[in-house]
Order: sequence, then C-alpha cells, then structure tokens
Amino acid sequence: MRLLLVDDEEEFVATLAERLSLRSIEADWVTSAKDAEKMIETTHYDLVLLDVKMPKVGGRELKKIIEKKLPGIKTIYLTGHGSEEDYQTGSAEAEYYLMKPININDLIEKINNALGKQGG
Amino acid sequence: MSNRIDPLGEAGLEFYSKVSASISHEIKNSLAVINESAGYLEDVTLMAKKGMNLDMDRLQSLAGTMLKQVQRTNTIIKNMNRLAHSLDDPASQVDLNALIELMINLSERTTVTRGFKVSAAFSDTALTITTHPFFLENLIWLILDFAMNVTGDAKTIELLPVKAESGARISFTGLEKLTASEFNDFQTERVRLMLAALNCTLQTDENKGIITINLPETITQPVQ
Repeated sequence: MRLLLVDDEEEFVATLAERLSLRSIEADWVTSAKDAEKMIETTHYDLVLLDVKMPKVGGRELKKIIEKKLPGIKTIYLTGHGSEEDYQTGSAEAEYYLMKPININDLIEKINNALGKQGG
Repeated sequence: MSNRIDPLGEAGLEFYSKVSASISHEIKNSLAVINESAGYLEDVTLMAKKGMNLDMDRLQSLAGTMLKQVQRTNTIIKNMNRLAHSLDDPASQVDLNALIELMINLSERTTVTRGFKVSAAFSDTALTITTHPFFLENLIWLILDFAMNVTGDAKTIELLPVKAESGARISFTGLEKLTASEFNDFQTERVRLMLAALNCTLQTDENKGIITINLPETITQPVQ
C-alpha cells in the first residue's frame, strides 16, 4: 500500500506521513497540486489524501486531474473547513471526508476500508 | 411589518460570517499540526519505552513546531477579537495602517486559496481618522472580493493608504482588467449605503487599474 498525502500545511502533512510510516504505511507527501502531479508521473499510489482547500488548485480539482492519470484511485478528502454543503458534496465524491484535526487510528481504518472496497 | 432585510446589516453579517468561517478553518489547521506533533511524541515515547533511541533533534524541532502554532493561533484570535471590537463604537479613531494590516490578515486564507497575493505599502507616518471601523473593514473586504475578479495575470493587489487634504485615501492597485461597467455593477445598494455611512466616495482610474476610497478625517453622521 502506498499513499500520497497532499496538504499545504507542511508541518501537518510531513508529521502525518512520519506517523503513518511508524505504522508501516508508506506515504509520500507534497504541499501543492503541482507537486502532486509530478509525483503521480513517477510513482503508483493506491490512495490519495487531499486537502480540500489549497492555494490555486484545491483538492476537488486535483482529484479530477489525478483520476485522469490513475483511474480508479481511491481518495480521502481532508479539511478544516466544514459547511454542511461541503460535507455532502465531498462525501459523495470521495471515499471519505474527514475533518481536521484527525485521529490517526480513524484515518487508518478509513484507508483500509477504502482500499478494501477496491478489492471487493 | 416589513420583511425587507436591512442591506447594510445583511452585508455586515455576511462579512462577519465569512471571516468567522475562514478563522475557524485557520484554527483547525493549526490544531491539526499540534495534534500530529503531539501524536508523534506519543508514538516515539511508546517506542522509547520498548528500547528505541529517541532522536533529540527531532523532538526539539517538534517543540518548535508546536510553539509556532500556538503563536499562530494566538495571532488569529487576536485579529478575531479586534474585528469583534470594531463594532463597539459607531465612530472611533482608527489607524488606517493597522486597519489595513488587519484586513489583509483576515482575508489571507480567502485570497491565497484563490491564488492571489495581497500586500500594502504602509505610510511611514500614522494615518489616523475618525470613522466607523466595522463598515470600513466591510467595505475593504467587498472591494478585495471584487478586485480579485479584475486583476491582471500577476494576481497581485496592493493597497496604498495615504494622507489627503480632506482626510485619507486608500487605493487598490493592480486591477488591470477593471472596466467602468464592472465597477458600476459593483456599486450595489449595500455598497452605496456603506459609502454613505462612512461619508466617503469611491473613484476609479480604469487606465491605471486603481480603485480609491476617499475618506473624510471625521465622519459627520455616525451610524447608530
């Protein structure tokens, strides 16, 4: 299992990747949609964790770009922003829509569920 | 009884709500960083108990990260508090440099998310006027929102506060795609009421891409 984490909060995304690594989950991280596009050119990912609100290109737009290159890839949205409308739309588009701050055990459960769906 | 909502009140509530949503987002981001840092400390502490060596440099860096986030959140809350208190008096002495800095900070998440950079060239001298701070903040917010639709490809907006004979001026520059027609559309009822409440006027220079607020030194009829 290999994940790509995309969030413009560098200290958040880098530490989250480190914590996932301590749990034997390989996770690369970047802080912009542009860098995410570069990463998926060279690496295969099973799941992407995308911050919804990022400068210039947000998570929802990035998901469409990634899906063109990696059809069927699973997505989890992450946000600090939380209107009901955002939640409904985000939940319909991605496997899960999580609010910051997150509990890492919940996140891992959601990752496993999302990838389990892929196998089923 | 009229069902009509007061446009000025509605504009103020909309502004306050948007800023509150943006602030809560910022605080959540900061909490998320602190949460992961604390989580990492918990992880490595548990591993250390099982015999793993601790990386002291990494621990020091995490402490620095958490302190930085506490300062960041403190600044966000201070700004929120300043905005809240700007409704205390219908007219008060305002340092325009400080008010503009506050508005750039409060709108930063919104402007950065849309790919814009907003800055200000602050005057070296104090620019103090007597005005209704909340309405002025609201007006600046509305102009920034409008300005983001009419900037050039550089996507930068610079605010220039200067002293004027009759009071002060705040210019918004970088609006290369500004047209008279779009500016007319911008001047809705709520904007016109806000200008009246502030006893101020707007002027544009489409050739130079500038909108300017002309503010009096003292508002004559404070809104109650």
